[in-house]
Amino acid sequence: MEFIWRVNYFSALRVESLEGEFIVFQREAGKTHFLNEIGLKILSILDQSPATLDSLCRELSEYFTLPPDTHFSAQINRTLQRYEALGLVSRVKENA
Amino acid sequence: MIVGQLSRDTFRALLVGSGLRVKAGPFNLSIRTRLPYLADQLHRMYAHYALMDEAEIAEFHVQVISKRSIRRPFAQLIQFEVDGRSPFPPVPAEQALATLEWGINLAIAMRINHLLLFHSAAVERNGHVLLLPAWPGSGKTTLCTALIHRGYRLFSDEFGLMDPQSGNFFPLPRLMPLKNQSIKVIRDYLPEAVLGPEIPGTLKGTVAHVRPPQESIERSDESAKARWIVFPKWSANASLQLEPLPQSEAFLLLASNAVNYEVLGETAFDAVTSLVRNCECRKLVYSGFDSALAALDELTDD
Repeated sequence: MEFIWRVNYFSALRVESLEGEFIVFQREAGKTHFLNEIGLKILSILDQSPATLDSLCRELSEYFTLPPDTHFSAQINRTLQRYEALGLVSRVKENA
Repeated sequence: MIVGQLSRDTFRALLVGSGLRVKAGPFNLSIRTRLPYLADQLHRMYAHYALMDEAEIAEFHVQVISKRSIRRPFAQLIQFEVDGRSPFPPVPAEQALATLEWGINLAIAMRINHLLLFHSAAVERNGHVLLLPAWPGSGKTTLCTALIHRGYRLFSDEFGLMDPQSGNFFPLPRLMPLKNQSIKVIRDYLPEAVLGPEIPGTLKGTVAHVRPPQESIERSDESAKARWIVFPKWSANASLQLEPLPQSEAFLLLASNAVNYEVLGETAFDAVTSLVRNCECRKLVYSGFDSALAALDELTDD
């Protein structure tokens, strides 16, 4: 079973760069988050188009020239679940 | 007119009657008490504070009153009140000064939301503010005391008060509570420092307050922008380290250290972002004043 992930209200996020790290203000929740470049890229890819974990990992691997492996995929999955708990992303539908 | 120009009788009459109305940085306080020993302590420790003009309104009305306890009928207890409310339980009478000072700080922390409040010492040198944000126990009051007796102007040992729009910091020079071993350390290092009575048995151990230098109080309407942020940590026998701190880490530490960051929301986010971008950020580990002061002097030299 595979989920499709989308970002919630990317335009309502305030993003500022501080020496290569990113701070993000989530207006709806009034919360501040600290992201590295990969963390922000996840949100920006999902803002362009909702994606499955596999396609998201492919895009990230290409962008950062990282070899795709299962460890990387598991790490991104954990990040998505964390983002979901924070209300930054949600699963829009699932395919059997 | 300043408190020190009042006779002791006039001073006591104000405390007992309509209230001693004094300026504390951007705030006005009205203080009342009938406790004669507290009046004597305040007359000495508040000597440099300016009295408010008649037309001005006090933001904080505080008083320290005697309290009787059915459980402890022979104990002399006092209670702090702000606008008629008691945020703390009664404490032994000898803790009156410490309780008054902590109570005023609590009232400021709870009520002031037009300014961003960092839990930080703040001093000024060469026209710019050096922020020393730290959590309790890190020695910021002790380091701040050393700095203000070595050429730095006191803004506060407790609050960095920042206007989120302009980025200006406002001085709030108040009594500075040294705790436990720090009292002897400062007595030995700075024999010229004016300290109040040693107050044993408080929640934080023995406390003695440092009276802010007269110049810092006289110039408490002169705001300034921050240029340096140094996160200090005293560590026994540590060799001095004053190292750059990444801006993102400084942001994280500052945002989590600001008392009202979440209340101010996006305004605070913008203000802290701007602050760390415009400041040199460092972390300081030290064990002795001489080396720490030399390093901070070098950092803040023109």
